[in-house]
Amino acid sequence: MNALLSRRAPRLALGLIAPALLLAGWQWLATSGGASAVALAPLGSVAAAFVELVGNGTIFGDIVATLTRAFTGFAIGAGLGVATGTATAVWPLLNRVIAPLLNALRQVPMIGWLPLIGLWFGTGEGSELIVVCLGAFFPAMLNTHAGIANVEQRYLDVGEVFRFTTGQRFRRILLPAAMPLILTGLTQALAFAWIGTLASELLMGAGGGLGVTLQTAQVQQRLDVILVTVAITAILGFAINQIIARVRREVLRWQPASI
Amino acid sequence: MSAEPFPRPNVESSAPLRGELTNSDLDKSFTIGGQARPVLENINLTVRPGEFVSIVGASGCGKSTLLRLIVGLDSEYGGEIRLDGERIATTSLDRGIVFQDHRLFPWMTLEQNVELALLNTDTPKARRAAIVAEHIALVGLSGFEKAYPHQLSGGMAQRAAIARALVTEPKVLLLDEPLGALDALTRVHVQNELQRMWLAQRSTMVMVTHDVEEALYLGDRVIVMSPHPGRVRRIVEVGLPHPRDRRSPLLHRLKDEILAELTGNPAGEPANLVTFPARESR
Repeated sequence: MNALLSRRAPRLALGLIAPALLLAGWQWLATSGGASAVALAPLGSVAAAFVELVGNGTIFGDIVATLTRAFTGFAIGAGLGVATGTATAVWPLLNRVIAPLLNALRQVPMIGWLPLIGLWFGTGEGSELIVVCLGAFFPAMLNTHAGIANVEQRYLDVGEVFRFTTGQRFRRILLPAAMPLILTGLTQALAFAWIGTLASELLMGAGGGLGVTLQTAQVQQRLDVILVTVAITAILGFAINQIIARVRREVLRWQPASI
Repeated sequence: MSAEPFPRPNVESSAPLRGELTNSDLDKSFTIGGQARPVLENINLTVRPGEFVSIVGASGCGKSTLLRLIVGLDSEYGGEIRLDGERIATTSLDRGIVFQDHRLFPWMTLEQNVELALLNTDTPKARRAAIVAEHIALVGLSGFEKAYPHQLSGGMAQRAAIARALVTEPKVLLLDEPLGALDALTRVHVQNELQRMWLAQRSTMVMVTHDVEEALYLGDRVIVMSPHPGRVRRIVEVGLPHPRDRRSPLLHRLKDEILAELTGNPAGEPANLVTFPARESR
């Protein structure tokens, strides 16, 4: 059993079983007539829509717009999150001052900010980016704070014995010791950035992107376009996750293999 | 301080005299539940340069606290601790320590862990790699330079921690139950290595341990401490040259004596201490 899972080709094949079944069931429902045929476009017409969208360049432009928005927002939001989390972990006074406020604010779900942001900044691309930043900020901040604030005293003692400066202590003890949690925070931040991107595009509809196309397709009742876009969103999200997992493995190669 | 009552093997004359550690009228208390509880009381102890001193005692006698004070991780104490005449107030590269848990940084390889100790020394960068390799060889870990701590066994990790503490060539090396977590076989092995390293390096060493046999095998002197608060109860001179033979009758006789001291009930102690007459007569 494990031998099967440890080889590349069988692993890949096993992972493809469920998607293949899904597609087969889909095709069967879509062509069987009855009520479900209205809910699902046949694979052939979805493929035709895909070719159409690729042909006129829409899909490519959407992917670029959405990825740019997601990663820009992630970079800004998670960057600020890591910086804030580090600062509050290193300076307890600062933590005491801003932690209660931040903890109250993070109880508002990302989407809950939309009306306020809409009123303040309008429903343009800038507002979409703010939503993405907000989504990425909190998980990055919370995990970074927890990681750095809980570094074990026994390691800090070692740094003291070897006369580490503040900078050395940060770079050689605090940061690497907190890295597993920081990476967890960044993984979550990216997931939230991705959700925030799609949600804000759907609801604000500015500047192009997969969410904007979804919104337009819904208005035009283009079921095939919706399905193509949803599939592409799923595949992109999956790819991003794979990349993050690989980065994590590489950065944390000093950890014993997880059980 | 008494004169050397026993011959030291060869190294004595060539090594520079350094690493004299004096504790005078040392007191230390912790505040627990708003009340000051003394953990160390009136400790007077001079460790001669190049000497190996073992400290034994029951839990709660403040042995580890004493080492934390000497290494400089805790500077709130009464009395004086001096190394070569200088009062100890903070950590220093002159004083190294091996903790009971190895405390290697899991995110660094063995080599990087050892080299880290040299970060703030004036050792030229170009020479560091060679010095690190030398010390890894000294503890018998050549070939494991690139291993991460989780890839090492307990005994290997503890030896690596010893290498990390020795690489800065501290005047005094403090060992806080360094072998406490090891199994009996590994323990004997690392004890032998520790003795060999001490003979090679000749720095002053102070080792805290639960194991009376280990204390006697390695120590020039064994300090027996009593708990609540921690006090020096007895100082035993072990008049045997290094390297030693574990089967030496003297070591066994001293072991019985110290164990009787630690578990027995000599005059002057409160009568409510539990006694083990059977063990004393053995």
